[in-house]
Amino acid sequence: MITPQFIWLIFLLPVFSFIIISFFVRPFVKAESRITGYILITALFTVLALSIWTLLSVMAAPHHEIPVPDINWVVIEGGVTIHLGLIADSLTAVMLIVVTLVSLMVQIYSQGYMHGDPGYHRYFAWMSLFTASMLGLVLADNLLFLFVFWELVGLCSYLLIGFWFHKPEAADAAKKAFIVTRLGDFGFLAGILLLYLNTSTFDIHELHKLAITGALASAILTWSAIGIFAGAVGKSAQFPLHIWLPDAMEGPTPVSALIHAATMVAAGVFLVARMFPLFEHSTEALTTVAVIGGVTAIFAASMGLVMNDIKRVLAYSTVSQLGYMMLGLGVGGVAIGIFHLFNHAFFKALLFLGAGSINHATGTFDMRLMGGLRRVMPWTYATFVIASLSIAGIWPLSGFWSKDEIVVSTASQPVLFSLAMITVFMTSFYMFRAVFITFGGDYRGGSQNEHGGHGSRPHESPKVMVTPMVVLAILAVVSGLWNVTGHFGTFMGHGQTHSFTYGFFHPFTQPLPWISLILAGLGILLAYAMYSKQWLSPEKTGNFFKPLYTLFYRKYWFDELYENIIVRVALVKGLFGSLKQFDNQVVDGAINGVARGTIAGGRAVRRAQTGQLQLYGLFIGIGILALVLVLYFAG
Amino acid sequence: MNLALFIPELTLAVFALLVILLDLFTEQKRLLVQVSVSGLVISAGVTLAMWGESFPAIFNNMLAVDNFALFFKLLLLGVAFLVILASISYTQKFARFQGEYYALVLLSTLGMMLMAATTDLIAIYIALELTSLSLYALVGFLKDSKSTESSLKYLLLGAIASVVLLYGMALIFGFTGQTQLGEIARVIQAMSPQTILSFPALTLGLVMLITGFGFKIAAVPFQMWVPDVYEGAPTPITAYLSVASKAAGFALILRVFFSAFGLPEWLSLNWGIIFAFLAVIGMTLGNIAAIPQTNIKRMLGYSSIAQAGYLLVGMAAMGFSPVVDILGRSSIIFFLTSYALTNMGAFIAIIAISNKLDSDLIDDYTGIGKRAPLVALALTLCLVSLIGMPPAAGFMAKFYIFSAAVRSNLLWLVIIAVINSVISAYYYLRVVNVMWLGKAASEEKISSPGTLRLGLVLSCLGVLLLGIIPGFAMLLAEFAARIFVF
Amino acid sequence: MLNNLGLEHYLVLSAILFAIGLYGTLAKRNAIIILMCIELMLNAVNITLVAFSRYVTPELLTGQIFAIFVIIVAAAEIAMGVAIILAIYRGIESIDATKINLMKW
Repeated sequence: MITPQFIWLIFLLPVFSFIIISFFVRPFVKAESRITGYILITALFTVLALSIWTLLSVMAAPHHEIPVPDINWVVIEGGVTIHLGLIADSLTAVMLIVVTLVSLMVQIYSQGYMHGDPGYHRYFAWMSLFTASMLGLVLADNLLFLFVFWELVGLCSYLLIGFWFHKPEAADAAKKAFIVTRLGDFGFLAGILLLYLNTSTFDIHELHKLAITGALASAILTWSAIGIFAGAVGKSAQFPLHIWLPDAMEGPTPVSALIHAATMVAAGVFLVARMFPLFEHSTEALTTVAVIGGVTAIFAASMGLVMNDIKRVLAYSTVSQLGYMMLGLGVGGVAIGIFHLFNHAFFKALLFLGAGSINHATGTFDMRLMGGLRRVMPWTYATFVIASLSIAGIWPLSGFWSKDEIVVSTASQPVLFSLAMITVFMTSFYMFRAVFITFGGDYRGGSQNEHGGHGSRPHESPKVMVTPMVVLAILAVVSGLWNVTGHFGTFMGHGQTHSFTYGFFHPFTQPLPWISLILAGLGILLAYAMYSKQWLSPEKTGNFFKPLYTLFYRKYWFDELYENIIVRVALVKGLFGSLKQFDNQVVDGAINGVARGTIAGGRAVRRAQTGQLQLYGLFIGIGILALVLVLYFAG
Repeated sequence: MNLALFIPELTLAVFALLVILLDLFTEQKRLLVQVSVSGLVISAGVTLAMWGESFPAIFNNMLAVDNFALFFKLLLLGVAFLVILASISYTQKFARFQGEYYALVLLSTLGMMLMAATTDLIAIYIALELTSLSLYALVGFLKDSKSTESSLKYLLLGAIASVVLLYGMALIFGFTGQTQLGEIARVIQAMSPQTILSFPALTLGLVMLITGFGFKIAAVPFQMWVPDVYEGAPTPITAYLSVASKAAGFALILRVFFSAFGLPEWLSLNWGIIFAFLAVIGMTLGNIAAIPQTNIKRMLGYSSIAQAGYLLVGMAAMGFSPVVDILGRSSIIFFLTSYALTNMGAFIAIIAISNKLDSDLIDDYTGIGKRAPLVALALTLCLVSLIGMPPAAGFMAKFYIFSAAVRSNLLWLVIIAVINSVISAYYYLRVVNVMWLGKAASEEKISSPGTLRLGLVLSCLGVLLLGIIPGFAMLLAEFAARIFVF
Repeated sequence: MLNNLGLEHYLVLSAILFAIGLYGTLAKRNAIIILMCIELMLNAVNITLVAFSRYVTPELLTGQIFAIFVIIVAAAEIAMGVAIILAIYRGIESIDATKINLMKW
């Protein structure tokens, strides 16, 4: 049984790594040194071991939860006391595994990918901070600290998207991500405050209890749940705040793999799962989650169909899969949504690492410049295909198991069911479109300009990059087997267990898995027909569906909608315009008046400082008199 | 009497003399630094070994060896260490007199350590003067016209303040017939309020004491020397003045007012009012006058006046507290620690930048964020801490002090303080803004010596630690706040 | 007449001396004279101390000891002061306190 100290260590080790790197390595060690990477990797290895230990202990513990005593963070006797505590339940344990495993793989990969970058130390410093905050987020036992870590991961995301801040696109993308997610966070904060005002507690367990006993109900519950969900919508890039995630691909690819595929964007899903009792007791909130999830899933997948940048395809795919998880939470419950999160983390991280590997070889992310990489990059190809099969939901890879459960649980709701089914088809189509364009055919030249352009001949990436991909590929195959027996479900508190053989072949006795398998197969087939064999010309097909193609390709004009209508017209002309009027006439008079008064006061006070030391002495004398007067009148 | 309890002070005195002697014989000026630092380390080590135990006072009850004194000794030794780190590259400007420089730093530290420990009016005066005399010399160390001028201003005004302080001490001595703080307290508590009020000697004496101490801690209206001296002095010494001198001054005020005038209640209420008054004008004036400043050292001078105002809120909370309340004292100790780390960090960053730019003007800091990102980041953190925003130490420090004030029913004072914090954000953030968003005049990178980087790292680490896990430091502060009265 | 000389007389004398000294420090222009005025104030304090000691605690010498310490420290302070004034004089060829205002505002 793991002791609370070790659970604390899970959070603290990456913190130490951050402190050591940013306070001792960066200022004193040369930029060429690779020590920072090793520091973080060592820390993460230990954390992974501890996480596995935690998982095993939680599995063995009664009610699947280990009590962790609180630590007093701030104590004012007779006044405020703020506790700092951790939760170690099944949800946390699963998230710990996901975060540490993916993070470890990504850091090992980064050793190769970031090699020689002048910001090497900075990269690992932010990565440490990110991992620490992410672990803090999944471990936090009260909403206040959860929110702090929530903002911290957002900050790290901002810093890492803008890692190459000298590139204007990167700087803009970072800003966009920060601002858009902030919109959702307002809702989250409002939700937290609403809860606090009505229950005067931030403690998650307390809130669960209140929701379950019905002490917290009706409109307050619904609105606070929706507020919390707004935060999740921002962070998990759900419709309509999805626009930041594709742009976030400007960051280094390992960052995209860790933050924008496997962990941080899944924090929204985690948040909903963490607060699930609140959602469960409010039909409206739960329906909102399911509908937003379903809409996002198909909406993002449709845009993924036509993108030419491989990372953008993956980005839309991530948004779509996150929508799937939300859908799973909304219709099926914690176990189903989180199981998909668990599986998705591995295969999606793998896909991004594969994209990074390709970029390392060709120097571009534009799929039109790739092609024929199957022969020169066998490992990348093999792992990429495994991940694609997994995400497409092909039996018996991990994606199948979790996706199947989601589809099955939507069966009673025809609209959501059809959304889910269409998405299955689209997913397998866009993934294999990417596979065929990238790896099939002949090499189309690549690019020499960007990161990693190593001459004209593409080559396989170094071992340090391939090894993590292989590990993740294995996980992408087997991670789904956890719930074949139903054990994942019972671990999360749902359903019952059965034998492995029964679970393994059970899907073939049901109609729904057949439908989704066939749809997925059709998607692959269509991609094969269009992009490998060219039976169907992509151009002609594109022209045939011209309006749709344009619609998808221009991302439903959402960027323009936000940029032109909401930002320019509504905000700048409308709101800001009227605010400016208000500002000019009212605020200028008041606030600026005060500000000007203060500044003028500053100038005046400054004049008293004449530089004449005897005047200063006089002030001492005046001071004594003033104090005597104060005592005389007030004392 | 146990002379072993005096070893920390003795060590510093011996090492100060050693540095002067060594300076005569060696050309290796690095050696002087090493000797000074080892003096500090030994002294700190001995002090640390005494931590946590209770010892009798030494020298006929003139020096206390309680946790309060030990804590401040450690704090002051730490600050002196950072000052020496910050001075190593700076002392190139006066290469010939390095021995005297380091010796004076050690001697003034010795004086400040004594300030934190003395429990007798005579000893307080000696400790104060030992500190001041060393500082007068250090302030004028650059020997250019600005530095000499600031030294003269500091000396003459300091002398006036210390004469006023002495007069106050004489009055209190005359009123009670005692110079030992505990004895003074006993005499006062034995008297009836009517007796005390029928003579003005005690209240006048108190006012004069506050004046003398107020000069040291830069409380308005005894602060006029601060901007000029801060601007003219060598930058490490400015840092030293703003941090150590203030910490020692507050240690003294805390001890004197707690152990001699803490009771009866109506008396503490009276000095509480004075401190509340000083806090209000200190915060307001310091913050307002800082806004139009163009020289960053001068701006931080005004900022330190404002910070003294926040600290005085804590003093007022102490005076007003209905019961003997430890939160007032411990919050001041916490604030001082956090302020010491923050201001040292800020000044070290300024030394690192100004050494290369050869300018202290805020406008010349334009675009430093690109030229020296780490230093600029550290300076930003320190400025954020000075504003009092999380996650820096300044936030928790203000939080504790303000909660102490609220508990003493001084909500009005807290509201003024919070408004002041908002005003202060203006001039601190202006520097941040200039550093990160301004366009740099040149692209050339600014590199800083390892000693400065070490100093910066240590102070920033401290600022973050105190800000993020304040509980531990607060426990220490509460432990240190148990002043022993005898 | 002399027998009526009490504590009050000494205190008033020292207060007057103190006030004269304070006036001098704030009004005189010559830095050396300012230093001398500070000395005057210090001695006013010494008179107070000794007088209190004589009348309040006649059996102890606390006040006298205090005064001796004050005299010693004052000597050191004056030495410092004169040295700095010399340094100023080398710079601006004047010891007029009103001309020492390089730093202001």
